[in-house]
Amino acid sequence: MAQSWKDNHALFLISIGALAWLVPGAGHFALNERTRGLVIFVSIVLTFLVGIYVGSVGVIDPVHARPWYAAQVMNTPLVKLLGRIGATGNYRVFGRATEIGQIYTSIAGLLNLLCIVNAVYTAHLRHVGEAQA
Amino acid sequence: MMVFLATMLGNFTTPMRIDTNPASMLWLLPLVVSIAVVYKATKVYKIRLWPFARESAVLFGSILVFIVVAAVILYGITWIVTEQLPSLLSRSTF
Repeated sequence: MAQSWKDNHALFLISIGALAWLVPGAGHFALNERTRGLVIFVSIVLTFLVGIYVGSVGVIDPVHARPWYAAQVMNTPLVKLLGRIGATGNYRVFGRATEIGQIYTSIAGLLNLLCIVNAVYTAHLRHVGEAQA
Repeated sequence: MMVFLATMLGNFTTPMRIDTNPASMLWLLPLVVSIAVVYKATKVYKIRLWPFARESAVLFGSILVFIVVAAVILYGITWIVTEQLPSLLSRSTF
């Protein structure tokens, strides 16, 4: 008999992690932590957008700013699309605005990484709790 | 509507003009707010408006205090190395 989505523990955790990476806060949202998911979504997306607004889309550069990009891509896989735009070099980046933009977008990515780990851990704890009950 | 949309998107393609001066350090404040809110969102048992806002505000204040302390210590080290040490070395008998 085929196992349901939640019965396959590893698949469930991977799905929650992937969901949390795809859309910030979606992992918690899927775990019925709606307010928590909403707070995470608004905070991370706002921080990321402020970073792009301050530094321009050019701050996402997988070629010339690879370490920053590694953190930025933790926001969502869609950042890879912005990375293609930034890597063309058509968008000017310079000065303090670039530093601030890179810091904002990278910190947003690292915060989302924290939320991904937290969502997966919460899902694991719930599964263990349900198994013991 | 299209003009507004184009202007909005255009704003994301050119960097803002931010001078390198002490006032530019104020840009850390919104970032610290974001860090405090997201961190507390992952830590609190249940999110209710006022307790959550209070906890986030406390963390925001704590981070700021530690940033100021770190800045004062770094400023002190820089002052010793650049202002005091050269004169001490020039007076040294070695």
